[in-house]
Amino acid sequence: MSTATITPSAQATPPVYVVGTARLLAGDTPAVPARDQRWLVEAARAAGLLGRGGAAFPVAAKLASVGRGATVLVNGSESEPASWKDRVLMRCVPGLVLDGALLVAGALHSREVVLAVADASSVAALQAASHQRGAGGRVRVVHTENGFVGGEVQALVNGLDQRPAVPNGRRVLPTVRGVGGRPTFASNVETFAQLALLAAHGPEGFASVGTAAEPGTTLVSVHTPDHGTSVVEVPHGTTLASLVGTSRPLLIGGYHGSWTAATDLRIERPALRAAGIGWGAGVVATLPETTCPIGEIARVAAWLAGESVGQCGPCVFGLAAIAGDLTALARGQRADTAGLRRRLGLVPGRGACSHPDGAARFVASGLQAYAEDLSRHERGGGCGRPVLSALPLGGPR
Amino acid sequence: MKHLQVDWTRCDGHGLCARLLSERITLDEWGFPIIDGRDLTVRELSSARLAVRSCPRLALTLEPTVTPASR
Repeated sequence: MSTATITPSAQATPPVYVVGTARLLAGDTPAVPARDQRWLVEAARAAGLLGRGGAAFPVAAKLASVGRGATVLVNGSESEPASWKDRVLMRCVPGLVLDGALLVAGALHSREVVLAVADASSVAALQAASHQRGAGGRVRVVHTENGFVGGEVQALVNGLDQRPAVPNGRRVLPTVRGVGGRPTFASNVETFAQLALLAAHGPEGFASVGTAAEPGTTLVSVHTPDHGTSVVEVPHGTTLASLVGTSRPLLIGGYHGSWTAATDLRIERPALRAAGIGWGAGVVATLPETTCPIGEIARVAAWLAGESVGQCGPCVFGLAAIAGDLTALARGQRADTAGLRRRLGLVPGRGACSHPDGAARFVASGLQAYAEDLSRHERGGGCGRPVLSALPLGGPR
Repeated sequence: MKHLQVDWTRCDGHGLCARLLSERITLDEWGFPIIDGRDLTVRELSSARLAVRSCPRLALTLEPTVTPASR
């Protein structure tokens, strides 16, 4: 089933599919009743709702930690180039996203709701939905143009407050000091849409799909050689094999995520975390057999190095060195792989944000999943396959 | 208990800290500190304080260790 309403944009919204019961993409937005903060906290706890931006922070804990009058910030940056799910929600069901934001704003008695969005189509769709609801007075849709790291919530808050859109040296939670210096409940677009569904269906109705450990559904941005890019809504517990097959290593979580050769994984954040895998923002990708995987990893690594905002030495120099090592290796030049491995161990935990950690995880897990290809390259001469640039990088969307 | 912490947005890799507290701080190939972030011993505290005071970028700080229970 496809529910995509395609609006003009730099790149058309990818096709949208649903496995099982459609919730987010059901087409008609359910009526979302007002709920108080206590009800929302309890319902989010009962539903085991985890933030959908990548960190999978428990939503109940974040909701409980903000006081009356906190600002609501919807992070629609979606700066991960392989992720499309937030754009799909904002463009196809903007009313659900907005209802979720207004639901939280009502529960918190917020004075202001800010939606930070990076693409014009989503801005237009959200503004229209806001206008339709007569909510224009307290809803502000802001068009932000930040890079990969600029989507990190502290960087986003800094950008919204007219400071450079970079992470702080000392971590300050938005719930303590967010937009305009005020306590802010900030979360990803999909989190707000899920909260709207939770308020509409109640915790029991919400849990009629999904698993006991993680009720409900999630959106996945899927990239496969055979079917290209699509966004799929699946109930938690769906096997990854049913989405992308089992024949190739799998990238889970995007460019801060990890590659794995495991074939028996299910889409359920707690179980994946127990297996050492972060679901991130829900990106799943496989590479075609015809491309050089080391070259693909090198290409993304070079992009990640370029996305460093340049604040922290180990990130600036470390990611550039790692990308250089990988590029040489991909070209079949004599490369210092011992040095590469050492450098991959040197960058994590040494930055103001998790960009170096995520980038190193992407590269290290990729080299492990493609160990055979790596050793072919280490012996010199490469693998003879071209780099097809199979993974999307940046560009206007 | 206290441990050392770096504000990476401030650190420019001057390297004084590694000279003053070599038992806890070494430098990577780019000149940035690699910090043993475990709790400092009482004997190490005075040279740790000197390293903190000497950082030209005020990037190095002594922080109280927060146990997971008190977080």
